[in-house]
Formats: sequence, structure tokens, C-alpha cells
Amino acid sequence: MKLKQMMAVSFMLGGLFAALPGHASEGHGVALKHADIDVTDQAQIRRGLTVFTELCMGCHSAKYVTYRDLIDYPETSLSREDVDDLRGDKPLIAGMVTDLAPEDAKVSYGKVPPDLSLIVSARRGGADYVYSILTGFEHDPAGHVPDGNFNEYFPGNRIAMPDPLSWLGHDAADTADLEQQALDVSAFLAYISDPHQNERRAIGRYVVGFLILLTLVFYLLKKEIWKDIKH
Amino acid sequence: MVIEKMLNSRLAQWLDERSDIVKLTRAHLTDYPTPKNLNYMWSFGSLAMLVLTIQILSGIFLAMYYKPSAMMTSGGYSVAFDSVERIMRDVNFGWLIRYMHAVGASAFFIVVYMHIGRGIYYGSYKGPRELLWIIGVVILLIMQGTAFFGYLLPWGQMSFWGATVITNLFGALPVIGSFLQELLRGGFAVGDPTLNRFFSLHYLFPLLLAAIVGGHVHALHVVHSNNPTGVDVHEGKGTIPFHPYYTVKDAFGVGVFLILYCYVVFFHPQLGGYFIEVDNYVAADNLQTPSHIAPVWYLTPWYTILRSFENKLLGVIAMGASLAVLFLLPFLDRSKVRSARYRPVFRQMVILFFISVLVLGYCGHSVPTPTLKLIGQLATIYYFAFFFMLPFVHKFEKTRPLPEEI
Repeated sequence: MKLKQMMAVSFMLGGLFAALPGHASEGHGVALKHADIDVTDQAQIRRGLTVFTELCMGCHSAKYVTYRDLIDYPETSLSREDVDDLRGDKPLIAGMVTDLAPEDAKVSYGKVPPDLSLIVSARRGGADYVYSILTGFEHDPAGHVPDGNFNEYFPGNRIAMPDPLSWLGHDAADTADLEQQALDVSAFLAYISDPHQNERRAIGRYVVGFLILLTLVFYLLKKEIWKDIKH
Repeated sequence: MVIEKMLNSRLAQWLDERSDIVKLTRAHLTDYPTPKNLNYMWSFGSLAMLVLTIQILSGIFLAMYYKPSAMMTSGGYSVAFDSVERIMRDVNFGWLIRYMHAVGASAFFIVVYMHIGRGIYYGSYKGPRELLWIIGVVILLIMQGTAFFGYLLPWGQMSFWGATVITNLFGALPVIGSFLQELLRGGFAVGDPTLNRFFSLHYLFPLLLAAIVGGHVHALHVVHSNNPTGVDVHEGKGTIPFHPYYTVKDAFGVGVFLILYCYVVFFHPQLGGYFIEVDNYVAADNLQTPSHIAPVWYLTPWYTILRSFENKLLGVIAMGASLAVLFLLPFLDRSKVRSARYRPVFRQMVILFFISVLVLGYCGHSVPTPTLKLIGQLATIYYFAFFFMLPFVHKFEKTRPLPEEI
């Protein structure tokens, strides 16, 4: 009886959190596209890393991820040779920082491109947001915003980043390829925003499993010790 | 059995002759007479102690790596923000320690709010437990201060703007307002000096908390636990020794709590932006205000009371009053019956009070709209009406007959 009451309370609390609208639903109204990514998929994360270093890093950095990390993280586990190719003459322990100087970026784009180490954690919608932005470049229906700066999913629609994947006006034959690139880089960014997340979930299964067993033992012990008390 | 053996050991006897340790352990832990009918709502006190311990221990380890400096680093970040990310990425199991601490803050408030709600529902604040209740309210205030100071430390957007909004409130007070505001900030705006003093206070307050919790437990053991019937039970009849009955019952409660807590820590540490807000992954920027500034969920009920008034000073006074009135609760309620089980009118009132606090919390967390503002104002009115009605309820309330014994 008492146990049931307590379970009811915890379910109510859980339901309350579930019922409250999350942050993701706030904001600018347009529903984001779902990014079907897998942050445990080494192949996808490596492909995303390639998109990141060849395309994004022209302007963006991921300063919290060092070249050394790309060797050490099991999700990337690049060879020393591959990393040496990527880093050029930068030190192994340097973060992945773009060669574009902030002053030059300001001249070219009007603002400094944000660091992408935490972009998936720092945006409502996370990886869905990144994927939607990358595949959201359109012609402005009102004709005010120049092509390449109009994005369906960006709050206010006017984005400083000019269409990195050349999504606007691409051939229909390239759609699948571009979508795949957007997905892969979203997966990479989702992974580096919290690089121990796979380890965390793996350990978590054992922790919660153990606690359920332990609690069961406590429950049986409690029942045994209390069996003579009338209350 | 094991505990009996330990208490009778030669070492324990040697210590006892010099410190009373065995007598104290028997009186306050093992043999401590406890009402036999406590339900699981009474588990939240021991859970609060557990979470306080988790917070202090994880906090000590975080402080070994955290650097309270707002000095800018590359990419628009700061030394403080960088050090948090180093903890998340490079410190061995740093991610675990930090998520335990961040989720622990929210867990602490969930547990303590349940504990307070239980105290109100079963009339645990009423004589002779007035001082016990008052110490509890002091604990709540210090907890809220600690949480507020701590939230600045990652130096994210919500840290910065949350601290700006809250320290602004003190500026609304007449005469001492601007002095108090500058004292808190260490300058005219939230900046590096603010971060340093908040870090210092965030380390000091939990130690105060631990000491005051000692006082809370001591006061409890003088006046003894209330129980769901609210009927006083005296030693012997109706009581059972704390050990093994409540040690094992609390152990089960701890188990259930840890399952939920660890599930969040390992699988949803941000809990969809409720426990760690999305905007706090963006580095603090004093030139860019986030579109929507709200405190973390556990402070939102009071934030709604503040926002319900057009006049800022009135709002600040109402917010202060909404917390201060908790001190008066034992003296406002004149009924001789404690538990809401036997007080039909009070029971309705108190359930509506809990609902009003939840509504206040929801309104404070959401983007403000005219409808939500009105709902928040209605909930604010009821929040205060509850306390205004209390001194008069006993005059017309027909209480149900109390049981002779439990």
C-alpha cells in the first residue's frame, strides 16, 4: 500500500516533468527536421569529422577538442599519421582552431563564427537544429534577404553563415549526398559536445541495474524486519 | 547485531568513557524512540542529508579543478567556462562529478520541497516544534542562496544574466539598495569580482548548512518526530527504536531515490534544459541578452510572485514576504489539531496551496504571456491568502475525532 503510494507520487512527478513544455518547443515556431544520427557509430563520426575539418573549419573552431583527443577517443580513434595530416604544424595538444582570424571573419561575414565544441548542447533542438540549418537554405519568399543568407530554420531567418553545403539550388541527384554530409557532421558535433556520453550511458546501465537489485534487497529486508509491527 | 557488538566493543567503551559516544549513539540513533506509523513521506529528511553530503563531496572535488576567473580566452569563452569544460572532458570522471553536482542541486530542492510539504500537511510545524520549523526555514533560505551563488560559477549566459537580474532586485530597495547591489556584485555590474565572491560564498554556505542541519536534527530529537496522525506519542507505547526499523526503511527510500537520481545523472543530465539550461552552454556575453531569462526551476515560484507586480519594489517586497511568512506559519495556525487528516477545511486549503506553488513555478519558468501573468497573479493571491486565512480556520472548522493511540 505504502509502496504503491510512493510509486504513484514518483510517477506524478515524472508525468509533471514530461507534461511541461520543454525548451525545445519554445522560440520561432518552425518545426525542426529530425536528424537520425548515431553518436556511437564510429564510421559516421569519422565522416562527420572529415566534413568538419574540410568545410566547417574554414571558419569555425572546436577549441575544446584537441588533435590528441582524436587519437584517444574510441569514437574517433584516428591513427597518429591521420592526425599528423590534419594538424599540419599545429601542436598535438592544440585545440582544433580555424586559421581564419577573428578580425578577417568580421570583415567577411559581419561577425565572428561561433566555436562549435558545444553547439549541439547550446542550441534548442540540439543536433536537429544543426541538421535543419545546414539543409534549410532557401530563396527568400519576400525577396529581401540575398540568396545564401536566408534560412528557413534560423530565428529571424537571416543567417550570417553563407550556405556551407551549397544546399540552395543543388541538383536533385545530390540531395541524398548533401543530406548525408549534414547528418554526419551533426553526429560529429553532437558527439564532441559531450565526448564521454557513450561511456556515461554504458556505465549508467550497470549503475542503475545494481541499484535496482540493491533496492529490492532493502525492500525485502524492510518487509522482514517490519513484519511483526502493526501500524 | 553487528551494531550491538560494535557499541559493546572495548574501543567503543574506551571512547565512551571519554566522550559519551556510545550513550549519544544509543540515544539519537539506535534506540531513539520513533513513532511506528511514519509513512514514506518521512524519508525525505534523511534523503536531504544524503544529497547534502553528495553536494559537499562532489563540490570539494570540483573546486580542485574549477577556476573562478572571468578573464577572456579564445572563442569568446572565459577561464571559468574553460575550466568547467576541462572538468567535463579531461579530468578523469570529471563529467560524473560535475553531473552529480548539477543534478544534485535540483535533487536537493525536490527532496527538501517534499520534506517541507510533508511538514505543512501533517502540521509538523506546530507546537512544540516551532523552533524546529524555523531552523528549517533558515536552511531553505541558505540553500536558495547557495544555489544562486553556484549557478554563476560556470559563467554561461544564464549564469551571467540570472545573476544580473537577481542582483538588480536588491537595487530596488530604498536607501540601502544600491549599496547592497554593489556589495553583492563587487562593482557596478556583474563581473570578475562577482564571480570571485560568489565562489567564496558558494563554498562557505554549505558548511553553514551542515552546521545548521546539526541544529535541526538536535531540535528534532528534543521535541521528537511528529507522525501522520499528529497525535503525540510518548516513549514506549506507539514507538519503536530507530534501528533497525527506520534505518532499513530509510535504506529502502535511499535506494529508490538513488535509482531515480542515477538515472538522470547517467542518461538525462540536463533533463531537457530543466537541470542544466541550454543557454548556459553559451559563454557569458554582457552585450547579448538571451531572449528569455528565467531562474532554474527551483527558484521560479518566487520569481513569479516578483513578476506579478508592476512596481518593482512591491514585487521585491512580495517575494521577500512570501519567504518570510514561512517563519510565522507556526504562530498563524491556531488549531489544536495538527494533521490535515483530521482537518477537512485545512486539508483542502493546503492541497490548493501546493497546487498554487506548482502553478507559480510553471509560470516563472515559461515565456511570459498575458494569460500566464494573470494565472501567476491568481496563484500569488492564493499563496498569501492561505497564510491570511490560517488564523481563522480553527474557529469554524469541525475537526474529525483523533485516535487515542497510533
